[in-house]
Amino acid sequence: MMVLKVTRRDVLKVGAAAGALTAASSLFVGRMSTIRAVGAPKPDLQLTPVEEWVPTTCWIGKQDCGMLARKIDGRVVKFEGHPANPRNQGTLCPKGQGQIAALYDPNRVKTPLVRTNAKGVQGKFRSASWDEALGIVADRMNEVRKRDPRLLIWQKGRSKAKAFYDTAFVNASGATKLHHGAFCSDAGYRALEYTVGTHAVMNPDFKHTNYLISWGWNITNAGGNKTCWLTWNQQLGEAKKRGIKVTHIDPRQRPAGPHADEWVPIRPGTDLALALALCNLVIKSGTIDEPYLKEFTNSAYLVKEDGTYLRKGEGDEAKEQVWDQASIGPMDFGKYGNDPALTGEYTVDGEKVKPAYQMFKEHVAQYTAEWAADKCGVDVKQILQIAKDLADNANIGATHIVDGVEIPYRPVAIMTYHISQTELGFQQVRAQTMLMMLMGAMGAVGGTMSDFTWKIHKNFEGLDNISITDEPNIYLKNSKFYPINSNNSSVVAQVMTDPDPKANYGVDYTPEVCIIHMANPMTSFLSQKDIYDGYMKFKFVAVIDPWMSHTADLFADVVLPAATLEKYEGPISATDQYIGAQTLRVPPMDPLFESRGDIQIYLDLCEKAGILTGEGGYLDEINKKLKIDDANKIPIDRKPSGERELFDRWAKSEGYEKGVEFFETESVNITGPVSPTKRYGYVTEPPFGGAIHRLYGESLMGYQKQMKALGVEKIYYQDYTAFPTWRDLTMNSSPSEYDMNLISYHMIEFKQSRTSMISVLAELAPKQRADINPAKAKEMGFADGDEVIVESHNAVTGETRRITVPLHFTEALRPDTLAIPHHYGEIARHPNSTGQGDTPNALFFTGKGYTANTADQSFHVKVRLLKA
Amino acid sequence: MPKYGMTIDLDRCTGCRACMVACKIENNTSQTAFWMYVFRLEEGTFPDAKVSFLPRPCQHCDNAACVKVCPVGARYKRDDGIVATDWDRCIGCRYCEVACPYGVNYFNYKDPKKGQYMDWKDPDIQVATAGVVPGWSNPDLDNKFGSENRSIAGSNHIKGVMEKCTFCVQRVEKDMSPACVDTCPTHAIQFGDLDDPNSAPSIAAREKSGFKLLEDRNTQPRVTYLGSTFSPGAREIERPSVRE
Repeated sequence: MMVLKVTRRDVLKVGAAAGALTAASSLFVGRMSTIRAVGAPKPDLQLTPVEEWVPTTCWIGKQDCGMLARKIDGRVVKFEGHPANPRNQGTLCPKGQGQIAALYDPNRVKTPLVRTNAKGVQGKFRSASWDEALGIVADRMNEVRKRDPRLLIWQKGRSKAKAFYDTAFVNASGATKLHHGAFCSDAGYRALEYTVGTHAVMNPDFKHTNYLISWGWNITNAGGNKTCWLTWNQQLGEAKKRGIKVTHIDPRQRPAGPHADEWVPIRPGTDLALALALCNLVIKSGTIDEPYLKEFTNSAYLVKEDGTYLRKGEGDEAKEQVWDQASIGPMDFGKYGNDPALTGEYTVDGEKVKPAYQMFKEHVAQYTAEWAADKCGVDVKQILQIAKDLADNANIGATHIVDGVEIPYRPVAIMTYHISQTELGFQQVRAQTMLMMLMGAMGAVGGTMSDFTWKIHKNFEGLDNISITDEPNIYLKNSKFYPINSNNSSVVAQVMTDPDPKANYGVDYTPEVCIIHMANPMTSFLSQKDIYDGYMKFKFVAVIDPWMSHTADLFADVVLPAATLEKYEGPISATDQYIGAQTLRVPPMDPLFESRGDIQIYLDLCEKAGILTGEGGYLDEINKKLKIDDANKIPIDRKPSGERELFDRWAKSEGYEKGVEFFETESVNITGPVSPTKRYGYVTEPPFGGAIHRLYGESLMGYQKQMKALGVEKIYYQDYTAFPTWRDLTMNSSPSEYDMNLISYHMIEFKQSRTSMISVLAELAPKQRADINPAKAKEMGFADGDEVIVESHNAVTGETRRITVPLHFTEALRPDTLAIPHHYGEIARHPNSTGQGDTPNALFFTGKGYTANTADQSFHVKVRLLKA
Repeated sequence: MPKYGMTIDLDRCTGCRACMVACKIENNTSQTAFWMYVFRLEEGTFPDAKVSFLPRPCQHCDNAACVKVCPVGARYKRDDGIVATDWDRCIGCRYCEVACPYGVNYFNYKDPKKGQYMDWKDPDIQVATAGVVPGWSNPDLDNKFGSENRSIAGSNHIKGVMEKCTFCVQRVEKDMSPACVDTCPTHAIQFGDLDDPNSAPSIAAREKSGFKLLEDRNTQPRVTYLGSTFSPGAREIERPSVRE
């Protein structure tokens, strides 16, 4: 008690001082009449601070949630969710709330920096003027552009204004673009583009779905298809109220937490096996939408014994044939009145043919529930239950009226996204899509959606008609290694470091200059060793980023400080899939320090490089991409006054009379409900955009033939099969002592390279960890919190890699699986980021056996644990 | 006089901790002080494990143990139900901390400005924020509240003083909801007048059954949890930074 009394006296002294300080600080901060509480003293009018609420948008996640910045005397004090934005409805996730600490982070890059030491080690930099730094970058860019434009690489992370970055800058500069898709979900994109034509992966029609397979969807921690975590969870919450059943397929239960009705703890990398078995079970149960399969897919196409379609006619006139059951003979697909067979075997002109569906049925017959249970390490009863739930809910033949439009109603859906990044990812997501196709659920009410509206991407035709080249570009586009290609920076790094890229890959050049915009390949991508060796080959690297990423620290010759959210960016769709809406990021304050908005940086850089004005210049490319009308066209003969002018012209061209001011005051334009005739594939004009869905992949089989003929190894061509086909994973040939499967995952606190240094988020998730099942750990003699060495093994090369990490016990994880989260320690020499621990990317491999047939990165590897 | 209270729907909570961050920014609390805290819990063994989440603000009890033990009347129950701490009067004896069964009290051991996350002495930041610490300092917290005109919003977080969740009294008196409520992405947390049958928590409480934390202590919390329960044997996982 004595101590407390002493403390009290101390507090009284401090309190008096603090009281004085309070009085003093109130001179700066003041008391606001608008918020003055009952009984508070009347403020001095001269000192009344100005309170403003300024609309802006979040800058961290992928969906740019609407925000209101509360400002006091010009100082942002809080972000609130913007209530009018359909995507977040007034709410914000922890990252949205926490980014105010990013805004005021004194460890941001404050001025342009120029490197003064050798690359590959911790960087030493000197401050430079914008003029000097931009001049250096422009000179290096132009030097290689003159020599060979292929020597210039532009690399992005998550692009926040594609028209200004991916299109205008890339077109104006002639750079080769690298992006992050191969490390995100692009195998899924390629699978859907190829199979049904949409440029997205899969999500439910939450307002109507009754049975949802959450397939690797990290419900509580990460976004699903197309939008961030937040919007989907709001819709899941409403669907749960309606009684939706959720089955969560994932080695970890933590992602679904209490939101799943069933948890199927699948063995990592075996999702294709499960999808194929479910196709088999669905066929066996007769849960088949025959009219859909006949009319909108290639299921009825007759396939010859050589695997190609039976066609009539020559060249472009050739028509795929189906077996017409009325006339008992072959007939052109889609011809009026025909009723094609889906099953059976027929002979046409002495040649045996079968409908593609018959072949699929035979193909998946080998994939029984028991077989899949063994491969996937799950209880066969769970697999049968999923099939039963699908059959119980598919409602084949039913329709539902949405806004007066009658549409097929198949309330079964899959949400799948990042789980596409496995060794078999492309075919795995294709099989998941086919599972939904069998029931006619793609694009049906309550069924599986793939974008906000049902649009056909150019890749639907493009991926079907690839001309394989012997001389691919640096990411091996259209190559015999990866005919379908998601553009993987680690593959680029491997090509760049190859002793003879011409002989081994057909690539006869090595890029020299790389501009990296808001990407951190060294930490966010993998494999780290390849990235390090590859990026050391660049003769010049410029990084545009608000922070000193590890990539910048190791490789940047020049760092250009970008603003965080204090800039104009967009245009941004704000749709939640049901309501159409558009917004822009508008700056709640001027860029801090000497940072500049990214678009402003491109304006300045293009000016320096002489590619800003004139036809084909940066401004011209913006006009074209944003389709700015003649009345508002950005003049292409002068530099605009800034980012704001560009958006003002765009907004006026779009019909916003007030121009950009509309967004500065209203924030978001709600365009109304998304019409069912735009949203549901069955009722677009023409249905499904005219795309005939590919159950059978004739061209995939064709690529395999070409790849074999061109002499590539089996490991590259083996997954180019007409139907998804199970094979054992390459990683499983690692020695048996590597007895655990490593997987990685997102936490809700962190996203990409924009968060782990944010103090209020780093506090919530202070240290890297490896999740492990307690029984498994104890068997190996480890206790909760023990530091261990995790060693990964490359089954192809025999290489091993190690990190040291503390164990985190969790029962909600398969015993044969180790799970390590992403995005710790992304920023170099930052007090919050330093010491957080290693990324699992240090353990994964790229290349043979660890990339899918589409060059998409796998995030699976075999590991063992050793005492640290 | 409204009767303020809160419902937290555990079926909707995703354990994201946005409420924790919103609280910190709104109330300018220092590092490792979580007036709102979200437990991430796990029970059972593989494959029958169960993960759950439990947000824990101050329960603003009607029969608050902390109020009873406060020797100087700094901790008191307002007419609208908010359990408040008058930081002008608190002597830092920490009796409330001992008495509260929910662990919601945070004692300021050191000058909290030193615990405000970042180097606010950085001259460039000082230019941007007019020298205010933290940069997101909320001026409303300096106000006095209620007819009793007391300093209860936690401003300055004075060393040697106890603090805790105030239901964001500075927002409530402006007819806004607490920061945790407004930010909750899944609308799991509702706040309002429990006497008003049309208030959000009244509606939520009618829709599903609920429970209160440690009801056997007879503290009579104003916070009602709806939906799924968790077992007393649940283990905490994924803990944030703890106080030094």
